[in-house]
Amino acid sequence: MAQVKGGELIFVQGSNPPSLDGMSTSSQASRNINMNIYETLYGFSEDIKPIPILAEGVEISDDGLTYVFTLRQGVMFHNGDEMNSADVKASLERYRIVGATKNLLAPVKDIEITGDYEVTFHMEEATPTFLEAFSSPRAPAVIIPEEDGDAEAGKNSFVGTGPYKFVEYVPDSHVTIERFEDYSADTRSDGIDGFGGHKTAWLDKVTFRIIPEPGAQVAALEAGEVHILEQIPMPAARRLEDDPDIKLYENLRWAFTTFIFNLNVPPSDNVKFREAVQVALNMEAIMAISSEGLYTLNHRWQYEDTAYDPGQIGAEYYNQADAERAKALLDEAGYNGEEFVILTDPNIPQHGRAAVVIAEQLNAIGINAVINQVDWPTALNIRMQDEGWNGWTLQMGIEPYLGPVGLIATLASPARPHFVVPDAGLDALYQELIKGATVEERLETFKKIQAHLYEIFAIIKVGDSGLMHAARSNVKGFIPFRFPRVYDVWLEG
Amino acid sequence: MTVELPSDTVSIGREIKLARRRRRLTFARRLFSHPSFLVGFVILVLFTMTALLADVLAPYEPTKINYRFILAPPSAEFWCGTDAYGRDVLSRIIYGTRVSLRIGVFVVVMTGILGTLLGTLASYVKWLDGLIMRSLDGLMAFPGVLLAIALAAALGPSEINAIIALTVTFTPRTARIVRASVIVVQGMQFIESAHAVGAGHGRIIFRYILANALSPLIVQLTFVFAVSIVAEAILSFLGVGPPPPAPSLGNIIAEGRSNIQEAWWIAVFPGLVIAVAVLGLNLMGDGLRDILDPRHSGARDKT
Repeated sequence: MAQVKGGELIFVQGSNPPSLDGMSTSSQASRNINMNIYETLYGFSEDIKPIPILAEGVEISDDGLTYVFTLRQGVMFHNGDEMNSADVKASLERYRIVGATKNLLAPVKDIEITGDYEVTFHMEEATPTFLEAFSSPRAPAVIIPEEDGDAEAGKNSFVGTGPYKFVEYVPDSHVTIERFEDYSADTRSDGIDGFGGHKTAWLDKVTFRIIPEPGAQVAALEAGEVHILEQIPMPAARRLEDDPDIKLYENLRWAFTTFIFNLNVPPSDNVKFREAVQVALNMEAIMAISSEGLYTLNHRWQYEDTAYDPGQIGAEYYNQADAERAKALLDEAGYNGEEFVILTDPNIPQHGRAAVVIAEQLNAIGINAVINQVDWPTALNIRMQDEGWNGWTLQMGIEPYLGPVGLIATLASPARPHFVVPDAGLDALYQELIKGATVEERLETFKKIQAHLYEIFAIIKVGDSGLMHAARSNVKGFIPFRFPRVYDVWLEG
Repeated sequence: MTVELPSDTVSIGREIKLARRRRRLTFARRLFSHPSFLVGFVILVLFTMTALLADVLAPYEPTKINYRFILAPPSAEFWCGTDAYGRDVLSRIIYGTRVSLRIGVFVVVMTGILGTLLGTLASYVKWLDGLIMRSLDGLMAFPGVLLAIALAAALGPSEINAIIALTVTFTPRTARIVRASVIVVQGMQFIESAHAVGAGHGRIIFRYILANALSPLIVQLTFVFAVSIVAEAILSFLGVGPPPPAPSLGNIIAEGRSNIQEAWWIAVFPGLVIAVAVLGLNLMGDGLRDILDPRHSGARDKT
């Protein structure tokens, strides 16, 4: 593999990044870009273990109450300053305020500068899952210069330590980043590893172009105007399978397709009603259509055969398509034709398609299901309201990747659960989960969580959905991941 | 079209009525002998029948999903193929015409009523003229479809909101046309005579003025109907029309667009239907204009 330096790569995604402030957003459209600009102290490796990135390492005291992070020396920010412990403290203090998942720092009582290249976290109590949570890329705790420490969310200078630096953002058009010549590569490993490792920016410049319409994206790729599509529709992928100019990249475990209830309003406040929906649904039909054929049927709230695979718990409720049982449950629930509003959006195509199939299946058992399709930002806004919707289709991308803690954190207090009304049982299990000292202990807790989710039916697991990327065949070194790593990618010819 | 008024004022009404009936007969005969009107009329009748008889004509339920037949090409089983949900495209088009027709009819009725009301008020009540017409000019300053899109987007996607958006968009032009023709009719002798014999405002407006100002309104409304069908398709295409899974010609095309290269049939067939429907309505409108506009019909009579 002879890497080639130089050239401009054009990466296409469907929506604008809501923010280029790495820590204040958990949006995938932002992560795509931000993770090439910013870095964290710790992040996940390819096999989803916390590894040091900007940190040299961490010393955890036996009682789990102090974490001493040593920093790598000589790491330069894009503004020309060297990173030191003051920058780290300022970044993390800012994260406590504007971080989109600031709860992950809740176990940290205070952060003390204990050297030019050393910070010490004093913990409220021992939290065995802290380092994993702290490594989360969902809304990463990125390190930015001290001067940005007071900046409001979205108002920082977009300066990080990553292999590419920010150039410009023209909403609805593009974001441009260019190679950071003074990048301090992490020489501890030979190549890239998950979010960390030894990164090399080969390309001079990378443009993230926003093209909302999938058909136009495919046309641009075929014409050679762009290099990589974040997502190619499956029918187009099948057509281009044998095209020598195009290479397809399967990202099979991309997201959970889920259907979330609003427990605050009728008829979805009734657990029997929700159980009726659970047993009525034909998951195979929903997945085949919503994912355009790139899916795995899976009742688990984890991917199969991973460390926290809960086995067959709940399988008896999954993919039943049992209209008779559903109707009996509806009778039991006393359902009498109230409107069941399904909130969805067309911007993430799986959302809208899943909603249409779910609505049809629910209408078939006598539920008065109607679809409220609005654009994605509006949908996010409506679902934060306590009323006005009953069901919501959501692709959970990054959360299942994070493992049980990251996933259940979105369903349990202190966060506002997706299904609006906190469930005391789940909240207690979540606390048990994050305090579990070993993987085995946590797996046992997670099995209880899996069983509990199939008792409260507050959120329905529809299936595992894949993502198909497509690139021009002269793009080399691209390895599908949770975001497009445009470092260690080069253009041939 | 001046009418010879007999000096005997009592018989004015009867004379006008007779004259009108005579005109109506020749009018219908002339309409149907006008080739483009006839073609347009036939297309509109076919379109309307399709919409009304959708339950009978459609081979499948328009929202029936079948994941085993995703993106099936046209065949004996599915004449126009199936879409990404395995739904029959032909059935969706047939039911989609129903949405178009319903929206078209409602918009025409609403626009007709509002436009006539505002146009007549503006011309008949002098002090309202400036107020009404300047407000309508304000609305007209926006390009038509853009205003409809903005309104529909603001109100949210639903059929009723699409109707409201299109009505607001098309009413100003209609009102303006009504106002212009009412002003012309108002200046005619027989209106003065009606005033002279003491006819009330209501009678004068409805029986004499509007009845004689109707022709341009009819032409305008066929135009509104045609544009509504296209505008509805535009709104649905952009996702601010009737929400899924209800089929409408616009949202069928929108759903077909991401697979246009692999499944051309989803977008092409409803596109053809829109093209033919609009062609028909425009032909009809042209025919009406030829016959109703005295200068045009005069020219035609000579040939």
